Amino acid sequence: VSAATLAKVDVALGTDAPLPRANGELVFEEVWQGRALGLGVVLLERTGASWSEFRDHLVAAIAAHVAAPGESAATAYYTAWLDAVEALLRRRNVSI
Amino acid sequence: MSDDHEHDDGVHHERPASPIELRARALEALLVEKGFVSTDAIDAVIELYENDVGPQNGAKVVARAWVDPAYRERLLADGAAAIAELGYGGDEASTLVVVPNGPGVHNAVVCTLCSCYPWPVLGLPPSWYKSAPYRARMVSEPCAVLREFGLELPADTTIRIWDSSAEVRYLVLPERPAGTEGWDEKALAAIVTRDVMIGVALPAAERKSA
Repeated sequence: VSAATLAKVDVALGTDAPLPRANGELVFEEVWQGRALGLGVVLLERTGASWSEFRDHLVAAIAAHVAAPGESAATAYYTAWLDAVEALLRRRNVSI
Repeated sequence: MSDDHEHDDGVHHERPASPIELRARALEALLVEKGFVSTDAIDAVIELYENDVGPQNGAKVVARAWVDPAYRERLLADGAAAIAELGYGGDEASTLVVVPNGPGVHNAVVCTLCSCYPWPVLGLPPSWYKSAPYRARMVSEPCAVLREFGLELPADTTIRIWDSSAEVRYLVLPERPAGTEGWDEKALAAIVTRDVMIGVALPAAERKSA
């Protein structure tokens, strides 16, 4: 995984489900959010799964997400991100 | 992050893990067990995201050019080679041209066709950069657009608009603001924002806590 991969991820997520950023820099409020992102990137790169399929799962998960009271945008996003990783795995019949 | 590591540092947080944190950890553990991912690979990606992508790279380039005239010359002569000196790059397909602001001259960058952007130094473009109004109006009425960004330039300023393409990407080198004499590179880099390097803002000599 290189910087070019990360740029590809940004392009694939597009404006439908962009990574949370402030002044162009990623926002991680807690360690698990960065790990969730890293997990998704490594999983997709290692398995060759398509980023556009993942983006569709992510967009659906964001739409379905019910925010808890006081939940931050980054927490909501990365919760949906985990949902999307699980949806992708289920699509591939990986038991989780 | 393993608990052992936290103990080694003598920093052990007593705060119990939240449900979402536990869920994230469980999913990672499961995928590691299945051999889909490795903890090291995830660590490497996080490190890339923390260090290698984002406008902080460009900000360090600008700060270096402000303190080192020889570096500034190399940067203006060959942007890609000069950013590679600082360890940035990865966009071999395109040339990086650094356009310097000067007395009475202001530069700004747009991509009228799509959203070409110098991502090795600036990370992801902001959503407005890709918007049709910015792309069209930055060329036809740059003063009005800059004013909307809160940037008022003297009336006699020459404004140069640079249209990015797949082959050539542009980065604006702003003038070092007065009042920053004696600042170190880190303090200087902290005032160079993404918008400054696109050319829709100017750096202000206000110290930021790094």
